[in-house]
Amino acid sequence: MKPLSSLRDGIGFDLALVGAALLFLLALAGLPLVYNVLMSFQKVDMFTLNALIRPFAGFQNYIDVYRQPEFWMVARNTLIFVFFSILGQFTIGFALAVFFGQDFPGAKVIRGLFLVSWVMPGLVVGAIWSWILAGDFGVLNSILRGIGLIDAPLFWKSDPSLSIWAVVIANIWLGVAFNMLLLSVGLAAIPRDLYEAAELDGANAWQRFCTITLPMMRSTVGAVLALGMIATLQQFDLFPALTEGGPANSSNVAQYWSWQMSFKLYDFAKGATISVMLFVLVLIASIVYVRSTRHEVRG
Amino acid sequence: MKFSKIGLLACAALGAIGVAHTASAEDVTLKVWSIDGRDRPGLADTFSKEFSDMDNGIKIEYRMIAFDDIVNETLRAFATGNAPDIVSVDNPDFALFSSRGAMLDITDRVAKSDIIKTDNFFPGPLNSVTWDGKLYGIPKYTDTIAVFYNKDLFKKAGIDHPPVTWEEFAADAEKLTDPANHVYGATFSARAGEEGTFQFLPIIQMSGGSFKKVNTEGAVQTLELWKKMIDNGWASKDVLTLGQWDSTGTFNSGNAAMAVSGNWEIDRMLDDAKFDWGVALLPTLTEGGDRSSALGGFDWGIMSGTKHPDEAFKALEYFDSQAKRLYSEFGYIPPRSDIKLASSGNERKDAAIAKFLEQLKYAQPRGPHPEWQKISKAIYDAEQAALTGQMSAKDALDQAQATIETIVN
Repeated sequence: MKPLSSLRDGIGFDLALVGAALLFLLALAGLPLVYNVLMSFQKVDMFTLNALIRPFAGFQNYIDVYRQPEFWMVARNTLIFVFFSILGQFTIGFALAVFFGQDFPGAKVIRGLFLVSWVMPGLVVGAIWSWILAGDFGVLNSILRGIGLIDAPLFWKSDPSLSIWAVVIANIWLGVAFNMLLLSVGLAAIPRDLYEAAELDGANAWQRFCTITLPMMRSTVGAVLALGMIATLQQFDLFPALTEGGPANSSNVAQYWSWQMSFKLYDFAKGATISVMLFVLVLIASIVYVRSTRHEVRG
Repeated sequence: MKFSKIGLLACAALGAIGVAHTASAEDVTLKVWSIDGRDRPGLADTFSKEFSDMDNGIKIEYRMIAFDDIVNETLRAFATGNAPDIVSVDNPDFALFSSRGAMLDITDRVAKSDIIKTDNFFPGPLNSVTWDGKLYGIPKYTDTIAVFYNKDLFKKAGIDHPPVTWEEFAADAEKLTDPANHVYGATFSARAGEEGTFQFLPIIQMSGGSFKKVNTEGAVQTLELWKKMIDNGWASKDVLTLGQWDSTGTFNSGNAAMAVSGNWEIDRMLDDAKFDWGVALLPTLTEGGDRSSALGGFDWGIMSGTKHPDEAFKALEYFDSQAKRLYSEFGYIPPRSDIKLASSGNERKDAAIAKFLEQLKYAQPRGPHPEWQKISKAIYDAEQAALTGQMSAKDALDQAQATIETIVN
């Protein structure tokens, strides 16, 4: 009965648990990933989509994707989208977290209300922002006109120099609540007496923020940024709802482009190729995330 | 608790009786997939049910699939051997199936049929189900685009007839534009998608080009004209993102004096538009110049994997035999030139539909080409690049031409 007992409370139990998790990961994440990478090196058409053995294409798909006239524009948009979405979500989220961290009546209730944006599906958020950002009869333009910032309406979704920003704005709005939530938790974990001691020593609010809050929040911030990057690279729903990547690809990003290739143009090989390229980026973000949380476990 | 259990049992028993009743052992069951019947009875579900209810030994199992999914879903089913017997798809997608042997060649069956006559169909829709000289399906219904114009605003601006050429269209748009009252001269759809191509391809065709030859001089000039209209505010910048339904919405609310759109808008316009309106043929490049128009609509096809080709063909014959009801019951234009549409009793609607039927004579299909979606993307990308000023109209269309040549050759 030795193996059984070791399964129950010895090293065998640990291995079984880890093994189950690994098997699960392999089946649900590993296989599709391998399939996707494989597909990016094959010639795929609609009628061989379900076969595993297809003609080998080498790096041709990668070269083809790179040679698409919109490649650089999509790459630029993806960077803009990720960087400014995270910048916006994080700074506003942090500011709100600090603000609602102060004890004032109703703070918790109002903070809860912010989560509404987080609960809403991306497609709904996209539809709402689509109305807000509409050129001729949009709310945002009316407000901007009302306070005298602009005299002619801005065509957020149709002006190629603005379209990517339309999606960025909507995405920031969508992500602020999530950032605020995580950062609030991090803030709550900082012992109050640190602040009291600092206050007694004569540190002002700004000094307390820089010397206590920021250093204590390091691991949380790392995790939030990494998760933010992953979520932003995953963000898809806003694109079909707002701009469909247009006009003329001026708001197209890698994740939407990959979908367009696969399910609009039925060029599954190129779609897979773009998603593999994107995967490399997500991998980097994941490494940052894992590293930042590892710090947490040790500390 | 007990009550609901009995209820459940009763339901199950009833269900079993239902199944036993409708599918007797020798009945053949056909799977039919289409997009109709989501929020109200549509053509495919209604006809399928009627055909199924006839005592002919053939039952139809109808499945509704959303417009955006039907091609993907059918391809996947075909690849795994679970394809339906009959499917209907948007006409530019049809070649994708017929060119790859996914649709059954029905040339001989149609030649022998007493019901389906190829001569009855409009040439455009018929062309979309033809590949390599063979017939792979039959047109289901058709539609096309023309110009809707607001007669009240035209009168106010002192214009006595709808525009004949695109030059005139732009000139009229300038006169009709009234920023103080939020009125644009014209609206159309130049969206980054099939709708963009749908509205721009006719320009290429009427200038002597085709989907294989897009950089014609006439197309360049008209694109420049459209850009001028947008730049000068005679048309909203939002035409770049508006679909046809939304774009025509601004016409219905009186915020645009002209709209390029299709006959599917007529019923909504009768309800929404609180002014006198009419329909004119799409303008041409020069007075009396070549006409063209976009061809929309769906096609029926029997999938090549079917085990019951004879029964499936009978179903198609039934669907085609009911074409007379398309307009009166479902608001679609039959794809057949031999069917005269009955008067609806509404003068404005009848005048509009008559204009669309005239326009339909000039409608040309998109493609057919198995890689239509890529060709279409090259076209709407070029249109958008030019209209946003990222490239000159000439460069944009030249680039599209280069892309298209790698696809069609």
